[in-house]
Amino acid sequence: MGFGIGLGAEEYDRSYKDRDLVRRVLAYFRPYKNSLIIVTLFLFAQSIVNALIPIISREAILQLEIADDIEQQQLYIIFLIGITLILNTLGWVFNYYRQTLSSKVIGDAVLDLRKDVNVSVLNHDMSFYDKYPTGKIVSRINTDSRDFGQTADQLSQTVSSILLVGIMFAVMLTINVELTLVVLLLVPFIFVIALSFRKAARRLTLVGQRALAVVNAFVQESFTGIQIAKTFRQESKLFVKFKSVNKQSYQANLKRAYLLNFIFPAMSTVQGIALALLVIVGGTATLNNELQAADFYLFLQSLQLFFFPLFIIASFWPSFQSGLSAAERIFALIDTPPAVIQNDNIVSKKIEGEIIFKDLTFSYVEGKEVLDKGKTSENKTKAKKEVKVFDDFSLNIKPGESLAIVGHTGAGKSSLAKLLARFYEFQSGDILIDGVNIRDYNLKEYRKHIGIIHQVPFLWGDTLENNVKYGRVDASSDDVRWALEQAGGADWVDDLPQGLNTNIRERGSLLSMGQRQLVALARVLLENPSILVLDEATASVDPFTETRIQEALEKTIKGRTSIIIAHRLWTVRQVDRIIVLDHGKIVEEGNHDQLIAQNGVYALLYNTYFRHQSLEYIEKAIEWS
Amino acid sequence: MQKEVLKSANDNAKTEFSPEEDKFSHVRTSSRRWIIAHLLAGPNKFIIVIIFFGTIISSLLGSGLMVLIGTAIDEFSVGDSSNMLSYAIFFFIFAVGSPLLNLLMSLTRENLAQRIERDTRQEFYVSLLGKSQSFHESQRIGDIMARATNDVRMLNFMVSPGLSLLFESFMRLVIPIIFVAIFYPIDLLATPLIFIVLFIITLRGYTRQLDPVANRLRAEFGQMNAVLNETLSGIEVVKGSTTEEYELNRYFINAKGYRDAFVDQGRIMARYIPLLLIGLAITASLGHGIILYIDGKMTVGAIISYVGLMSTLRFPTFISIWVFALIRLAISGADRLLDIMTKESEIDENLEGIEQKIAGKVVFENVSFTYPGSDKNVLNKIDIMVAPGQTVAIVGTTGSGKTTVTKFLSRLYDPNEGRILIDDIDVRDWKLDSLRSQISYIEQDTFLFSDKISENISFGRTSEIEEIQRVAREAQADEFIEQLPQKYDSEVGERGVQLSGGQRQRIAIARAFLTDPRILILDDSTSAIDSDTEDKIQKAMRRILYGRTTFLITHRLSQIRWADLILVMKKGQIIAKGSHENLLKTSEEYRKIFVKRFNLDEKSLLEEVN
Repeated sequence: MGFGIGLGAEEYDRSYKDRDLVRRVLAYFRPYKNSLIIVTLFLFAQSIVNALIPIISREAILQLEIADDIEQQQLYIIFLIGITLILNTLGWVFNYYRQTLSSKVIGDAVLDLRKDVNVSVLNHDMSFYDKYPTGKIVSRINTDSRDFGQTADQLSQTVSSILLVGIMFAVMLTINVELTLVVLLLVPFIFVIALSFRKAARRLTLVGQRALAVVNAFVQESFTGIQIAKTFRQESKLFVKFKSVNKQSYQANLKRAYLLNFIFPAMSTVQGIALALLVIVGGTATLNNELQAADFYLFLQSLQLFFFPLFIIASFWPSFQSGLSAAERIFALIDTPPAVIQNDNIVSKKIEGEIIFKDLTFSYVEGKEVLDKGKTSENKTKAKKEVKVFDDFSLNIKPGESLAIVGHTGAGKSSLAKLLARFYEFQSGDILIDGVNIRDYNLKEYRKHIGIIHQVPFLWGDTLENNVKYGRVDASSDDVRWALEQAGGADWVDDLPQGLNTNIRERGSLLSMGQRQLVALARVLLENPSILVLDEATASVDPFTETRIQEALEKTIKGRTSIIIAHRLWTVRQVDRIIVLDHGKIVEEGNHDQLIAQNGVYALLYNTYFRHQSLEYIEKAIEWS
Repeated sequence: MQKEVLKSANDNAKTEFSPEEDKFSHVRTSSRRWIIAHLLAGPNKFIIVIIFFGTIISSLLGSGLMVLIGTAIDEFSVGDSSNMLSYAIFFFIFAVGSPLLNLLMSLTRENLAQRIERDTRQEFYVSLLGKSQSFHESQRIGDIMARATNDVRMLNFMVSPGLSLLFESFMRLVIPIIFVAIFYPIDLLATPLIFIVLFIITLRGYTRQLDPVANRLRAEFGQMNAVLNETLSGIEVVKGSTTEEYELNRYFINAKGYRDAFVDQGRIMARYIPLLLIGLAITASLGHGIILYIDGKMTVGAIISYVGLMSTLRFPTFISIWVFALIRLAISGADRLLDIMTKESEIDENLEGIEQKIAGKVVFENVSFTYPGSDKNVLNKIDIMVAPGQTVAIVGTTGSGKTTVTKFLSRLYDPNEGRILIDDIDVRDWKLDSLRSQISYIEQDTFLFSDKISENISFGRTSEIEEIQRVAREAQADEFIEQLPQKYDSEVGERGVQLSGGQRQRIAIARAFLTDPRILILDDSTSAIDSDTEDKIQKAMRRILYGRTTFLITHRLSQIRWADLILVMKKGQIIAKGSHENLLKTSEEYRKIFVKRFNLDEKSLLEEVN
């Protein structure tokens, strides 16, 4: 299918019992309980006022026909008109408070939810982000939460409708018991009809929300990769795929809208049957003088006021499904347990930097998109593959030691660094830092001691200065300059339009790849970590700059444990120890000279590498064809 | 340079991509015009007419029912039962017919609403595809996402339920007043007319108040989306720097901004004055009626129905709160879409331009380039002359402008000064399609779409799997692809298999083999390649250079030696050019780049040459 345009559930999706879901939705509104009660009461009061005004007006008009004490009559009429005036104004005041309060409640509850889900998302480890496209997560957090907010309105409307229906029911009873019973007979049908929509409403809403999330993710990917589309002149390829994604969302949301529009007309049909029945029953009663014509008229009018809130109550559950399906998607995200958790809460002021990997086993799970036709996520098609990276791996690194890891792609070099930073959870064995199990540290405090510089640097759409001091906001401009100096020199900074204050744009796109690496390096140097991990940190800078960085790093590395992951072997000659990894195993160990003397894998790699740089090789390469 | 020309009439807006005729470009001068044009486009106008009349009929049916009930009761109360059954049947037909009509109306309306969402989103997307590279670099993707999904959706909501509610409230405002005019003393028109005038005035005030809040609401949403998207895209850095709190706070501030705008909107909606007016109007109508009664101009029954009629105005008055909020939000949403769509893009498709096979001669004449909003030159007076089929190596320190130079060839940017000629024709005179399809890039950091490997390789040209495998072999990518769980069907990119820099680079080489470009730009300043695969990759690269003009950004001596011409760049200028031997002798800068790397002192390097 490609581009992840399927409407399947994510692997972390799950189905909740409606009861649990409602309980949790309500929990978000609990802090605003008082406001919600007031909102409901005001809503109710507003309906009462609206119902009272015609009655009082009628009373005032009817007074005109009674002609005893005219003066008193007039006073009474003026009094009644005054009452309607007050009631009308009150109605507006009630509406004002209700509306103001309810938007506050919704705004606050949605804010709480967004915050909670964001906290939980930020706590996930990298395996989560490897698997799920950010575009879809963003859609869940920001877009679905809006649907969630609407549940507050639905709730208060329903509660006030229940109150109204109760009152109208009493009114109808006082007018005529028999006719009321006729109406009562039909009420269950309304509920049966409305509730029959519930499942389909939920399912179609869910599909609609997913479809929009897919659009979101697609737009994100399109414009992240726009340069490729431009250079290959393949905008039309993206366009064709966009059309299918967009159409998918169109169809899904149209289906949902169609379905939801059936509810009210279906219920109105029952109302029509009720009216027809009442005309026969009530008409006969009127003819037989068992019923006053005026009462009959009043009854029919009350009936309208009875049915409307009844519809709202009956349709509550189906329309609540949109909110519930949004809630379900969001709670699933909140409830997914992060794989990396701390077992204890040890906080170390200073880490010496002793690292021990003991019998470590680690495998990635290569996830495959789970398709389940939009239903529950229980019947997953499992197409997972475990890729074993380390099996019984052991390694000791002394405090302050500099260690280089070399080896082929897929040997596990980067995995080692990522495990050390607790980006992934390993299956068995131990990692001990200063003798303490890595799982026992307070995660965030621990990570502060580790500085990792990645192969592909990620920068923020912010000023250069803020990017450098990202991990240490209290740093001064001088500190920032110092860090940049350390990272290969800061002379290029002055060539930027506003120097350190230049906004380098999202992902740092204003800078060259090499410059981005320098910024990422400076960022970590400023954090001054106890353990430094360089994962091909200088791959994109020119040899001259790299040499300058190398010299600066030699100073930086002193006094802290450093792990240098390198493809280019000339950068690792100075380190204390080199290990050669192959398929998760250490095949050679020692310093440069020892390993060269051993004449094993490292020597071979080094010689190959060196040969590639040698002048003979270069001359030979010219002849290639 | 990139002026904010937001609302300029842009009949001839520049675009790099126009897959189909653009029917709406001329109405993008204002969001209202644009929305209306969409509402009236194609069959939409008929749908709107249908909805309009459907609403009239349905509200007439509703009032008809009440009249019918009245006459029925009148008949019953005088003992006439002859029509009882037909009344029952009529009621049933009315009661069923009216919802049925409503159903048809709402299905039609939904159809229109969803189609407008689909079509405007597509229009927005196409417009984005046509924007220049420098435009895209200045945008925040999260904000673009918000516009493409949520702002577009505002247009949907405006139609459904907004538009039909608008019609309905309009009808329900007008019909009772017409009734008053026909059936009651003309004096009684005073209250409803004064009400209508005040209603319109206060409604204008209401929408004016909503205006800034609706704009704020949409902008805050975009901002919130942009921040979240950026945080999650850079999550590895967030975790590495343990700045979760900071990021959370950043998001919270934005989400709070959205919340505040939302609450402010609620407050404005709450302050809605017409609702107060209608209450006063109903009271006034009661008073007026009574005065007329005292003067003997009205019966009690007439006052009751007159006041009853006036009370029916309450519903449309109340509903207008939502109707106009929905319309206002749609206009704000449309403004945000048009903001992007009407932003001037510098580069045009140039459909009438020259279209021919490129031979490969490339000339840069006095090319200078400045980033928008800055006066510092990124490139300064670049002159290059390359013969067809030659290989040019560009070397220089980080940030010297090596990559930027190559971006003018396929017009990712246009220079501020000077020109670039391909086969002696200014690139601006070429048809963009012809130009770009003959120039390929192998970038430093290869972007892969969340798609199968095979799809990623054949991105530049749709091909059969055999051909994809062939180019993968040529690019030395075949071996590692075969080891992936689903081989060529493996998903890569954001979700799926994570490939190393070297592997991604080989996919890019395979891509280039498949498109067989006339001019190739190979950005290989990266060295993130395993030493053992180095040989293979170097050979693949060597092979791909053949028979085409190539710009090679590199620091590898082996590659540099393939070049017919070497350019040495520093601070946006070409400070030296020539052959390797030549440059070693003449260029201090050139020597500086390589000396330390090879542990050679300058002397021996020079001796080697001599």
